[in-house]
Amino acid sequence: MKHLYVIKAVMMLVLLTLAGHALAHGERNQEPFLRMKTLHWYDIKWSVANEGTLQVNDEMTMTGRVHFLTSWPEQINKPDTVFLANATPGPVFTRLGSWLNGVPMIQSTGTELGRVYDFKVILKARIPGRHHVHPMFNVESAGGLVGPGIWITIAGDANDFVQGVETRTGLVIENLETYGVENVVKWHAFWAVVALFWLGWWIRRPLLVQRFLLVKDKQWSVLFTKADYLVTALLIVFIITVLIVGNKMTKAEFPRTVPLQGGKVAVDFVPNPEEGQVSVENHTAEYYLPGRTITVDLTITNNADKPIQVGEFMSANLRFINRDLPAAVAGVAEGYPPELVANKGLVISDTSPILPGESRRMQIEATDVAWETERLSSLLNDPDSSYGALMFFFDADGQRYISELQGQILPTFFDK
Amino acid sequence: MSLTADEARLLKAISVPKSDAQKVVRTLDWIVVVILLFAVTAAFHIHFMLTAGDWDFWVDWKDRMYWVTLTPMILVIVPAALSYPLMHRFGLPIAGTVCGICLALGEWISRISGFHLWSYFPYSMVWPAIVIPGLMLMDLFYMLFRNVFLTTIFGGASVALAFAPANWIILAPYHVPVVYLEQLISVADLIGYTFTRTATPEYLRFIERGTLRTFGGESTLISTFFSAFVCMILFYMWWRIGQFLSNLGTIPNQLKTMVGLEADKDED
Repeated sequence: MKHLYVIKAVMMLVLLTLAGHALAHGERNQEPFLRMKTLHWYDIKWSVANEGTLQVNDEMTMTGRVHFLTSWPEQINKPDTVFLANATPGPVFTRLGSWLNGVPMIQSTGTELGRVYDFKVILKARIPGRHHVHPMFNVESAGGLVGPGIWITIAGDANDFVQGVETRTGLVIENLETYGVENVVKWHAFWAVVALFWLGWWIRRPLLVQRFLLVKDKQWSVLFTKADYLVTALLIVFIITVLIVGNKMTKAEFPRTVPLQGGKVAVDFVPNPEEGQVSVENHTAEYYLPGRTITVDLTITNNADKPIQVGEFMSANLRFINRDLPAAVAGVAEGYPPELVANKGLVISDTSPILPGESRRMQIEATDVAWETERLSSLLNDPDSSYGALMFFFDADGQRYISELQGQILPTFFDK
Repeated sequence: MSLTADEARLLKAISVPKSDAQKVVRTLDWIVVVILLFAVTAAFHIHFMLTAGDWDFWVDWKDRMYWVTLTPMILVIVPAALSYPLMHRFGLPIAGTVCGICLALGEWISRISGFHLWSYFPYSMVWPAIVIPGLMLMDLFYMLFRNVFLTTIFGGASVALAFAPANWIILAPYHVPVVYLEQLISVADLIGYTFTRTATPEYLRFIERGTLRTFGGESTLISTFFSAFVCMILFYMWWRIGQFLSNLGTIPNQLKTMVGLEADKDED
């Protein structure tokens, strides 16, 4: 018997040891096509370092750019209704402000495919703990599409959190967390007391067996006394009076109110002067499962007036950098989530600069265990086995050019 | 239907104050009351959560149109069905009140444990609606009239007619205008914006968006009266369903013979 307990304890320890570290929002569980063919986030900056610490009430800012891929999946709606948000474990941070191309994003908006938008989100630390924080767009019918995230620890006491506002009527709200709550509790308690009085009125007398027999015997005058009718009538008058008086008092206290605001705001995309300067055509793309490698055979056309080189391949927030190109390496900001930057980088079959007006066919190889750990290899289970990515090119002056890359992807299950 | 001789004797015995028979039936009363409290809380709460759902969860979903229209319709169903057995079997006009108090209990347990302590939402964002006055009025009219037709008209309608006034008292502070990020919104909108719901973005809100303008902007009034009309129909429908279910017979328990007991007789 004692051995049984030991075995159970050991089994429990083994299970706990094997259990993986839970990420904040199940972002790795999202289907690959949603991560590869919708939004591509870049130039993301957080005002706090990865694994940094904030005190309760401290603020942090997330900024960056998001590209809505042209080959948007057929399975979901076009991004005609989207909401700029932050993916955090619930309201552990509050949202002080959010802007898309400088337009406040309290409401939802619509965006265009193939276009780029600048975003900014300011958050305020509220609940202590270690939290994963991403920028995110909620897209109607697609759900939350998250950008890269960093870990932030909030220290301090949640009870110290304060966020107030002054209303248009001059009312100063000290803390949105507690505003109006006392009134809510008071009125709930009031009606609960009235309801309990009415229930008590009946429960104080024999309830079930006696009343069942009295009903069967049609002894209505015993079942319902004059006092019952009197209390009933008084309660009807009382409830209606309370509602009328309560509303009159409310009207006097809050003479100016507005309905919930549900409009949609318009936002223009960021004009991109480099648009069309470089184009990339996908010929074939293969995912080699045993080696966790995506190989793309493609043709790059340089329409710019300077020679360019391939700098980066990015898909589903995974970045494969050409480590031989300093401008590309410099594009990875300090503190960027390391698990999203491939160690091996991008292998390019021909690294020589592509001259202006030249079209060159070449192969790129993106190899990393992250395809597996980020659960992107399951793209082979998607009903639409295709991928989407952004490619970054740089000229000798460090000028960046961005192009979309998209196409079908073929699996290779065995060693070549 | 009159009492049998045994039933008459039982009624006489339990009508004697402080008799052993009365103590037994009172004990039974309390056991049933406790069970009923849990059963109604669970059943009505889950029904309400699955149907009213987000409208009741969040302060920035409590609009003048959908919330006011749909919530009373959802509220009236279970109390209407329960009112038949409670009133016509036991002479107890308490179905609405029992449901109201049980729902309030379930809601607050859910808001405190699930929404606030577990998910960190502030109470200002997740308080539940007040449902008791309308449901109580339904009971009170049933008691006063003891007539299902009049109760349908006055009791059914009162569930909706009392809903908006009972809640405006606590909702009005959240509809004070605020200018935030150069935009006019209500305090409720601001709370919804401030405290992140990762999977419930703004556009998911099923709220009034510029409709009912042909009624002079009186969205709440129009919604309330429309809801009251539907509540009348729903009350009668579900009262009938309660009647039907209360009068169902029992199925003979065939398993009794397997353990050596006498088989149940089929009901006539």
